[in-house]
Amino acid sequence: MRKLSFVLMALLVLLPVAAFARGGEETAEPEAAMIDVFGVFRDQEALRFEEGMVPFEERTGIDMVYQPSSEFETQIFVRIEAGNPPDIAAVPQPGLMRNFAERGALIPLPGDVIDRIDANYTQAWKDLGSYEGKVYGVFHRVNAKSFVWYNKPEFEGRGYRVPGTWDEMIVLMDRMVRDGVPPWSVGIESGAATGWAATDWMEDVMLRTAGPEVYDQWVNHEIPFNHPAVREAADYMLQIWGNPDYILGGSQSIATTNFGDAVLPLFTDPPQAMMHRQGNFIIGFMQDHVQDNVEEMVGVFALPEINPRWGTPVLGGGDQFVIFDDRPEIIEFMKFLTTWESAKGMAAAGGALFAHQDQNFNDYGSAIEADLAKILVNAEVFRFDASDLMPAEVGAGSFWTGMTDAVTGVPIGEVLDMIEESWPQ
Amino acid sequence: MADTAATITKRKPTAVVGGLHRRRAVGQIVVHVVLVLLVVIWTLPTLGVFVSSFRARDAVRETGWWSVFSTMDQLTLENYEQVLSGKPFTYVDSKGVERTARSDNMLGAFLNSMTVTIPAVVIPILIAAFAAYGFAWLKFPGRKIMFVAIVAILVVPLQISLIPILRDYQKLGLNGTFLGIWLAHTGFGLPLAVYLLFNYISTIPRSIMESAFIDGASHFTTFLRLILPLSVPALASFAIFQFLWVWNDLLVALVFLSGAGEGREVMTQRLLNMIGTRGQDWHLLTAGAFVSMALPVVVFFSLQRYFVRGLTAGSVKG
Repeated sequence: MRKLSFVLMALLVLLPVAAFARGGEETAEPEAAMIDVFGVFRDQEALRFEEGMVPFEERTGIDMVYQPSSEFETQIFVRIEAGNPPDIAAVPQPGLMRNFAERGALIPLPGDVIDRIDANYTQAWKDLGSYEGKVYGVFHRVNAKSFVWYNKPEFEGRGYRVPGTWDEMIVLMDRMVRDGVPPWSVGIESGAATGWAATDWMEDVMLRTAGPEVYDQWVNHEIPFNHPAVREAADYMLQIWGNPDYILGGSQSIATTNFGDAVLPLFTDPPQAMMHRQGNFIIGFMQDHVQDNVEEMVGVFALPEINPRWGTPVLGGGDQFVIFDDRPEIIEFMKFLTTWESAKGMAAAGGALFAHQDQNFNDYGSAIEADLAKILVNAEVFRFDASDLMPAEVGAGSFWTGMTDAVTGVPIGEVLDMIEESWPQ
Repeated sequence: MADTAATITKRKPTAVVGGLHRRRAVGQIVVHVVLVLLVVIWTLPTLGVFVSSFRARDAVRETGWWSVFSTMDQLTLENYEQVLSGKPFTYVDSKGVERTARSDNMLGAFLNSMTVTIPAVVIPILIAAFAAYGFAWLKFPGRKIMFVAIVAILVVPLQISLIPILRDYQKLGLNGTFLGIWLAHTGFGLPLAVYLLFNYISTIPRSIMESAFIDGASHFTTFLRLILPLSVPALASFAIFQFLWVWNDLLVALVFLSGAGEGREVMTQRLLNMIGTRGQDWHLLTAGAFVSMALPVVVFFSLQRYFVRGLTAGSVKG
């Protein structure tokens, strides 16, 4: 017992000493140029990003420390509130960037970075990174979502052809149904975020039925959410989603199938469904043996046009890097992000597309990703994911839940009215 | 129970007692069946996670864990390997050389969690033991009011203090340091610790203390030689509480270790990050759960004999 109390006493005395020694160590870290980057992409993607930044670190001697967080959207607010923002944050939603800019937390990019953005990005990306006439964000890794994936050997073996228009696609789908295989595998379950995959479908269709101008009005709430144009897009989508013959497991299974698992039935033996619409990141969800042979196994085409007037616009998203401090090393890093050199390594590693104009498509790790990048860069019309642009109450709330309701049988008219009512005044 | 039933049978009971006994036996069987059923239902999900942790990624995603019983050959240790040493992947570096790297693993995070947890358990126990002794056996003005204040703080959710504390830490340079998170956990754990230990320490018979004082012991000696050894059950039960709470904590670590880079991620953060940006590797959570469970299970079983004793002793007699 005496021993125990001695140990406890010793701990009591030593701990604070040890703690302060430790604390002192932290604060006395050398003042070498270091930048602290905060973002959402994690694990392998984080590692690829860090590897991609090595040339910059070697050239300049600046140390880039990246920290990912699964709770980015919450944590970034906490850090800003506490006066402890990162040097740079990679923000996935333009709406969030505008929120920070409005609070005055962000520093507008200096002229020489803007010049590089002008030189190497299309206007659309610059606009997405701007707020009230000032440019805040540099896009780096982006994604595109308007893709339909299929099992290449199976698809070709059955003699199917890639449809060029929506009507051709419906004809193909009916043929698949006659052949006894459901055309689509669709899943929108994603825990608390269930429904986001449905909003992407809806946005893609909306771009094709109503065109980019009406899409922008919709995003900015210049037309109501229950406007006939929105209704038309929803009807097109439900033409597929609402028909149990078209969907693996029937329409009811959509809400309970995980978005990442929905691609699996395409590559089972025998395949249980023929097509799946999702962004380029879905490759990472495919079975291991498929990922190892992407070029032989996987086929992809852009979701076909509905109205020839609007063609096949591309829907996408991406993380924009914004700065909370303007130390020279931070500006230097932002300049680096605008160059293809910063993206090359990540492109080769796979899982990322880039919007840089000077990119070399041969640098992509697979021919499929090179093709997707070409579609993205050459798209006549590119639009950012609407749900990431809308106010969070809708874009990360009622739009998600509304689409889930529509899948589970609530009439679409009611759903659109409900979302319209939830739009913040 | 079964023993009692057996002894009754040996006594060759009369017909009436035999009927009673049969009825009692039937009752017991029903109780046992229900209990076993509850245990099975309760354990089944954990078993499922355990089985899944030995299945390959595609198998986990395509079929349920029970299908393992028809195809035993699917089992693999890959998940544990990836959790402990990171997922391997190849890439081409800036010089065009193909290299293999491993992504985040849990070993470093395991050490970080230990670094965070152990002091965050020891510090509040030490402070709370002193405080509890003071509240229980020393007379000083404002004692009651202070004690009531501490109990009142028990019901204040820690979330409301996160941003104010973070602001202060920012000024003190404690953000992202281990010292910062130790102090935060200490603060959040102290009210419960003081309350629990007070309840226990105040039940120690006054006569023991008086005999110590008669022998000339000071308060400090009494505390060290008598109170601390006598309150081991209470200390241990609080230690388990605090250990599990800190070990499983995500929120406080996210807030106070943010900005420190990946080098200071604790287990919970690392587990969340390991599943990938869009959760494409969620199957690793199964193995990750069992890895992160290992230490708490050891702590719990080594201290559990104090656990129930400490709880009842502290709460009922308070």
